[in-house]
Amino acid sequence: MNVERLREALRAPDFSGTKYRLIEPLGSGGMGAVYLGEDTELGRRVAIKVMHLDDPAQEARVLASLEHPGIVPVHDSGRLPDGRVFYAMKYVEGRRLVEHRDPAPLRTFLKVCEAVAFAHSRGVVHRDLKPENIMIGSFGEALIMDWGIARWHEHPEEPGVALGTPGYMAPEQARGEPVDPRADIYALGAILRLLLPPPIPRRLEAICRRATAEAPEDRYPAVTQLAADVARYLDGQPVSAYRENLWERAGRLAARHRVALLLVLAYLLMRTVLFFFVRR
Amino acid sequence: MIVATRSADPVERRQAFEILVSAYWKPVYKHLRMKWNQTDEDAQDLTQAFFGRTMENAFFQGYDPAKSSFRTYLRLCLDGFASNERKAARRLKRGGGAQILSLDFESAEGELRQIEIADGVSVEERFHQEWVRSVFALAVERLRAFCDERGKTSHYRLFARYDLEEERVTYAQLAQEFTLPATDVTNYLAWARREFRRIVLEVLRELTATEREFREEARYVLGVQK
Amino acid sequence: MNKPILGIGTGAVLGAFDGLTALFTPEAAPQIVGIVIGSTLKGAIAGVAAGVFARKVQSVPKGILFGLAVGLLLAYLVAAFPDPNGKHYYFEIMLPGSIVGALVGFATQRYGGSVAA
Repeated sequence: MNVERLREALRAPDFSGTKYRLIEPLGSGGMGAVYLGEDTELGRRVAIKVMHLDDPAQEARVLASLEHPGIVPVHDSGRLPDGRVFYAMKYVEGRRLVEHRDPAPLRTFLKVCEAVAFAHSRGVVHRDLKPENIMIGSFGEALIMDWGIARWHEHPEEPGVALGTPGYMAPEQARGEPVDPRADIYALGAILRLLLPPPIPRRLEAICRRATAEAPEDRYPAVTQLAADVARYLDGQPVSAYRENLWERAGRLAARHRVALLLVLAYLLMRTVLFFFVRR
Repeated sequence: MIVATRSADPVERRQAFEILVSAYWKPVYKHLRMKWNQTDEDAQDLTQAFFGRTMENAFFQGYDPAKSSFRTYLRLCLDGFASNERKAARRLKRGGGAQILSLDFESAEGELRQIEIADGVSVEERFHQEWVRSVFALAVERLRAFCDERGKTSHYRLFARYDLEEERVTYAQLAQEFTLPATDVTNYLAWARREFRRIVLEVLRELTATEREFREEARYVLGVQK
Repeated sequence: MNKPILGIGTGAVLGAFDGLTALFTPEAAPQIVGIVIGSTLKGAIAGVAAGVFARKVQSVPKGILFGLAVGLLLAYLVAAFPDPNGKHYYFEIMLPGSIVGALVGFATQRYGGSVAA
């Protein structure tokens, strides 16, 4: 008796009686496995998540409540003949953020923040944000996947259940305490740090540090504020997470108005040359 | 089942022990052979003695589902038991050779010979792997009986050929071998797998004390731990 | 701010400043008022052109190049008129004039607000 073969037999989904056809497995997580399938009625490819056990389709309900271009949409849900819940989502052809060589990581990060902020505005905390759960679509769009352990934060899970991914999981989440949107802010800070090639500029490092502060009250109170700080950094403006000295301020302003400064210098140089050499 | 082992009703208690023994005797025996380096005879005696002890005493009173799975608890109990037995060298006093349970130790020995010693798996992990194997064996046996009862022997035979044998075959080969239409092969196999899954989860329900432990053990058995 | 208006403002200020630099040239000093007015007008015209261009084309490098070209052209027209002594000041007028144009082109692209349709 081959245990692995039997495990495969136990996990293999049987889509008979549904409108879906299995194409190939895409991956597996703690809550369920994702398969590439085909919706035989509409003739389109879909990603189908099949729960390992007869768990309620919490994720499908969460996703259905979050209609946003940065959140993978759910099309349908149902049960397999063995009682397991499945649901079909948009199949995103692209790369995971972790594999993606991003020429503008901060712009991508802002798109992710926008989607997370939207979820928070609907009362949903993702709780498992990490680069593996962010897909970059073929048009450069960022989509947040795997809402398997997401919860409405007004209805937290009972304490003692620590779910998430080490390295991206907020300390209070790792301790199994109830979490709020600031747990996602912690994960976003960890993602931001990962996205940036070293050496990380001081102001960005300060943003990461504030987002990943040990105590939730020391972090940004909302994702929108984290995003605003990153946007300010991109725009060459001062960020709230970092108090700069006079030199740093001058350097930032010079960098921000680099072209204007160069043109003015060119003008002054030309005037000087004309004054000293051409007139004489 | 764990609750039932503490039951005052002797019938209920006996049934609970039967399930316990069928799911755990092989992991226990192999653990004694591999971790405690017992000879086959000594391991047989100790296996008998261990389960005898669990039946006699309020052995599982100390089990707390909030702290660990029953499987881990039982392994720790077994290690404690084996250690005490070794220290006291009480094998003779125990009356070596006393047979309480009818267990097929030869099959366990045969399986032991197939285990690669240097495959990097700890003896503790092997105990748990053996437990999964026992759970599957128990479920396969129940599936066979279930199919026999319902006159669905072809379903079971297809399942056994496709999922239990080492050789990989295709549905087309199965259709030819069993002289069945390909659609029947698909349907029969899907039915058998569905029932197998149901039975495995049923066995796990019997072997666990709480819903949480059940879900964790199910994930372990399915190989999808978090 | 509206791009052409920003262009006029920036062009006029930079033009006036550019005209005032003639004070460093003793022989041009008696004509300083005319130079400053002319230079301010030149800057304002370059600013309008750059502002209109920025409305149609959103590109900082193209805006700078356009401003440079317009500044150069206008400065050439000014330099084509000789002083009372019949002397032309092509270098002295065209080189700074082109950079003032480039600055105005840059300012309209970078700091000009989008215009409501």
